[in-house]
Amino acid sequence: MIKNIYLLLFILSFTQFSFSQEIEFGEVSKEELSEKFYDKDSSANAVILYKKLRTFYGANASSVELVTEVHERIKIYNKEGFDKATITVNLFKSRSSKERISKIKAYTYNLENNKIVETKLEKNQVFENEYSYNYKQVKFTMPNVKEGSVIDITYKITSPFVLSIDELKLQYDIPIKHIEAEIHTPDGYNFRTKVKGNISFFPQHSRKRSTALDMTMDIQNYTLKDVPALKEEAFVDNINNYRAGVMFELISIVTPSINRYYAQNWGDVAKTIGSDDDYKNELDKTNSFDDELDILISDNQTEIDKMKSIFKYVKDNIQWNGIDGKYFYNGIRKTLKEKKGNVADINLTLVGMLRYAGIDANPLIISTKENSIPFFPTVDRLNYVLAYAVIDEEQYFLDATDEFSDVNVLPLKDYNWQGVLVDNNKMVWKKVAIREPETGITQYMVNASISEDGALEGNVMSRHTNHKAYSFRNNYNSEDLDAYLTEKEEGLENIEISNYKAQNAETYEGFVSESYDFYKEEGADVINDKLYIAPMLFLKSTENPFKLDEREYPIDFGYPLKERYMINIAIPENYTVESAPEPMILKLPEDLGTFQLSNKVLGNKIQLSASVELNKALMGPETYVYLKEFFNQMLNKQKEQVVLTKVK
Amino acid sequence: MKYISAAIFLLITIAGFSQSEDLYKSETIPPELKTKANAVVRLNDINVVVTSKDELSIIEKRIVTVLNEKGNSAVGAYASYDKYNKIKKIEARILNEAGEEIKKFKKRDFMDRSAVDGGTLYSDSRVLLMGYTPATYPYTVEFYYEIESSNTAAIPTWRPITGYYVGVEKDIYNLQDNADLGLRFKEKNLQDYNITKSNSSTSLSYTLENALPIAPEDLSPSYYNYYPQVLVAMENFSFYGVEGKAKNWLEFGDWINDALLEGRNEVTDETKQEVLGITANLDDPIEKAKAVFQFVQENTRYISVQVGIGGVQPIPALEVDQLKYGDCKGLTNYTKSLLEVVGVTSYYCVVEAGKEIIDLEDDFASLEQGNHIILAIPTDNETVWLDCTSQLHPFNFIGDFTDNRNVLVVKPNASEIVKTKLYVDSLNYQLTTANVKLEANGSLTSKINRKTRGLQYDNRFYIERRSNDKVNEYYKYHWSYINNLEILGYKFHNNKVDVEFTEDIDVEASTYASVSGDRLLFKPNVFNQNSYVPTRYRSRKMPIDISRGYMDEDVFKIEIPEGFEIEALPENIDIKNKFGEYHFKISTSDNIIIYKRKLFLKKGQYPNTDYKNYRDFRKHISKADNSKIVLKSIK
Repeated sequence: MIKNIYLLLFILSFTQFSFSQEIEFGEVSKEELSEKFYDKDSSANAVILYKKLRTFYGANASSVELVTEVHERIKIYNKEGFDKATITVNLFKSRSSKERISKIKAYTYNLENNKIVETKLEKNQVFENEYSYNYKQVKFTMPNVKEGSVIDITYKITSPFVLSIDELKLQYDIPIKHIEAEIHTPDGYNFRTKVKGNISFFPQHSRKRSTALDMTMDIQNYTLKDVPALKEEAFVDNINNYRAGVMFELISIVTPSINRYYAQNWGDVAKTIGSDDDYKNELDKTNSFDDELDILISDNQTEIDKMKSIFKYVKDNIQWNGIDGKYFYNGIRKTLKEKKGNVADINLTLVGMLRYAGIDANPLIISTKENSIPFFPTVDRLNYVLAYAVIDEEQYFLDATDEFSDVNVLPLKDYNWQGVLVDNNKMVWKKVAIREPETGITQYMVNASISEDGALEGNVMSRHTNHKAYSFRNNYNSEDLDAYLTEKEEGLENIEISNYKAQNAETYEGFVSESYDFYKEEGADVINDKLYIAPMLFLKSTENPFKLDEREYPIDFGYPLKERYMINIAIPENYTVESAPEPMILKLPEDLGTFQLSNKVLGNKIQLSASVELNKALMGPETYVYLKEFFNQMLNKQKEQVVLTKVK
Repeated sequence: MKYISAAIFLLITIAGFSQSEDLYKSETIPPELKTKANAVVRLNDINVVVTSKDELSIIEKRIVTVLNEKGNSAVGAYASYDKYNKIKKIEARILNEAGEEIKKFKKRDFMDRSAVDGGTLYSDSRVLLMGYTPATYPYTVEFYYEIESSNTAAIPTWRPITGYYVGVEKDIYNLQDNADLGLRFKEKNLQDYNITKSNSSTSLSYTLENALPIAPEDLSPSYYNYYPQVLVAMENFSFYGVEGKAKNWLEFGDWINDALLEGRNEVTDETKQEVLGITANLDDPIEKAKAVFQFVQENTRYISVQVGIGGVQPIPALEVDQLKYGDCKGLTNYTKSLLEVVGVTSYYCVVEAGKEIIDLEDDFASLEQGNHIILAIPTDNETVWLDCTSQLHPFNFIGDFTDNRNVLVVKPNASEIVKTKLYVDSLNYQLTTANVKLEANGSLTSKINRKTRGLQYDNRFYIERRSNDKVNEYYKYHWSYINNLEILGYKFHNNKVDVEFTEDIDVEASTYASVSGDRLLFKPNVFNQNSYVPTRYRSRKMPIDISRGYMDEDVFKIEIPEGFEIEALPENIDIKNKFGEYHFKISTSDNIIIYKRKLFLKKGQYPNTDYKNYRDFRKHISKADNSKIVLKSIK
């Protein structure tokens, strides 16, 4: 008997020894300290030499807790990397419980005269701060940091929120040499995991008995080496979508004593949300608005007209308080009384009202772009709700929180993958694709004339539809008219604008149109007896937005767009057109985009017609090289000039 | 600054003042205060009562009507607090257009936040903030608080005009010094406003009425030199438990020296030996100072921690020695202490830092002035200025962060106001030379050499420390008017002794000249096009302030492609006026075009009537920088 135990102990310690290549805290080597730069990315100002995260369930006297132990070793190469010596930990708190940090131990190591010198972080150098309603912030900066320092840090976070495991981040803004994460979950607690990012990796699974909990644990181990830094680029929907990491979502607890199922698929997600009181009972309580609606709508209206008047009523009468959410902040009654609320207050009130008017309307829960893509069936990661109506088999998506949104013209943040429909009445719970934005169209009609001294004057009329109108309205209304015109003048090569009129810019329905007169002293280059002018005038694009050589992430334009230009230019009487740009048609592969330009000379008039089309809101990174070249050639063509010669 | 007295604001006097209840109704706002306004301060009433050397109360009542979304920031419903400044009472009411109450905030309804941004690691200063989302406009906020403070060194300044597009109906400031601490004050820029006052040796009373909303304008003088304010201080004061007495900068400097700096200059023996070692072979005090400054730059970094008196008192040099970090006070005091070790005298200086030049008032001493600390080392011919928070700037180079302004130099028994270094216009210099080869398809390749000095050095030298990617990105944005610019290579030389930064850059661009039939058009000013034209105002109100000047010179040698001849060249330009100079000259020999340009912009202040002239000058420059050369194919 005694022998057996001995053997068992031996095996246990042996296996531990062979599996874990634990890097001991404080065992910083001279090699690490004398390293001058990171050989795989010499632009790195600092690098994570080693990071180990261990998340497991622990028990204290009264309850179970989720514990995460962190050990992080950072190398600082130069002064630009000094900010990595400041560590910030955000601790979540709710009204009744909160996360805690403990066992902070941290040292800075320097090599001085070929000797390793260590400096300890003292307790009084750690600062706690009530950061916001939901977060406490713990911050400290390491002492004695110099170029070349290595800092070694460990701490422990204890969370009472045992059912939610935070996203595991395996990529940061500095490169990582070695990162390792272990997640221990008890048998019967079934978490769905989803790996994301542009790096491929897989967990290793093992099992172990937890004596503290008296349960068998499933252990997932993620080990990555040489993870490159995550770099920001322009036109990215949300960089977090591309960060290497793992997300966890509890799907069920099946133990001898508990039997509970959470979201297994999107239907479950919808059902879970649908079983919440906000969705189950509140949506059909109509007594707080029925009187108003009875006045607003009448039986002889079509359903579409009813929907539009209710949408308008909600937009006009309820102000968004800036807070997202799929559950009520105020509830319908209070929202109507105070005339404001969060996203759920507004759009669920809208659903309730549409239903009262007899329209088939339901909530559609989504995750907005800022909130990143929900990679798998999840309740927690959905942060927003839209109103969704079906009339004569046509789909209508509505978001009444935004001043300038319209039916099926949603704020751009809403177009993020798909939504989850909660139709408790018909017992339909499923995923619904959000209708792609329709093409935003802008048309310019310009009549201009050039004088012999190169001055340009004339009139612009333009018309904007769909999301082009939406973004026009947002710009136009964001500042006073003087400031708006000043900015517009600067954006249009410093023309001087007068008689400016915008129509339909302060509402949200239909198209916007504008018209203005312009004058530009140096409209054309006058060189000897010739005039040179680019016929797209000040409406040409001048800068290629794509400057980097390559691209890792998709390009997000927000919505498909089309711009058309009809430009008539009257030239001075005694001049003739010597040369004009050749016509051009330029296409992106797979009909993703087109640019076309042509011109005609009729008497003393040049007529230019041009158009730009980008047919998809989101284009893959493989399109990048084509897109960059497309813009390049388009810009060059737009820059080409008409040469006018004086008739002698 | 005489020009400031020009009547910029039309002020309207209205006899009598309506009852307080009327202030809650939006319709009672005088129409002229509403035009071009986002909000109107109906009433702001500050009452300060000093009861003893370490006890004062501040009571403020504020009624603001917000006319639209952009006016929300004028509400100002917040109050800061910490251990020495306690909020006794704070409340707010929201009223609708008709003046009826729609919501009430009690103390517990205010949000409690840290009062610092991300730049500071920790501060004990906090703020109570009203979080209110308006549902309709206009609405009115009535805000009230009472603070009990022990800091008689920090008496609130009266600043009735605080933002753009905000009308002010009435702003009242009353101060009563019941402890007879020696009231001192200074009025600034009151003359163009409708202000009444009644002061005694122990009390102040100011009322401003009906100030029209103002709109921001480019190139305006700083707020500080333009808008009305009354600075207030007590001769006998207390600050975070530290007492003092000062009626002028001389005495104030002594207080800083005796109460805040004294006994904080010790460093470890180890450090002492080290700095003595690195300066052992140096005789010249300036050379010693250079070695010490370099030691500080290599061994410390800037981290800000502000707790209580630590807002104005440096942490001991010994602590900086151990932690190897500190804020401006700590690092300056540390450097000063190390200089003491090697026998070099230096002085701790209080300055208002920032791109905007703001002087300390030479005739009014108060703790409220200044937000940064630098170090001065006196020498026979000039004062050497050091900003000890920078690990990168050359010795005796403070740049545009603290240049050309009055600062307090703290010297035992001899503190004084001194002006910091002025970077003279023509010495803020950039010389760009480039050899450019143009091809028949419009592309170009070029080798560029660029040298910068003075404040232009300050704008450039930091790119040396950037990664390859970032340097590439920097040039692509810097010359964003050249499409498809590719950086083939670059080399930097940072001469910290003479403060000169040199860049050698090789570039190519596949489309520089535009092709029109058999012609090539291009701008001979390839690498220094200046298209800046100041914003056009339908009527300019403010005077012009160009706070710093500079000079650029450019020489570009452009080789034109074979098979082309010059068809047209722009005419040379020479402009000289009170704002500066602009010249360019083009000469040719065979297939080479030589373009020489000079732009000299002077620092200066001009009346608003000069705005159009200045704008025209910049328009001329922009036009000249855009002028083109036409080449024609000979075939």
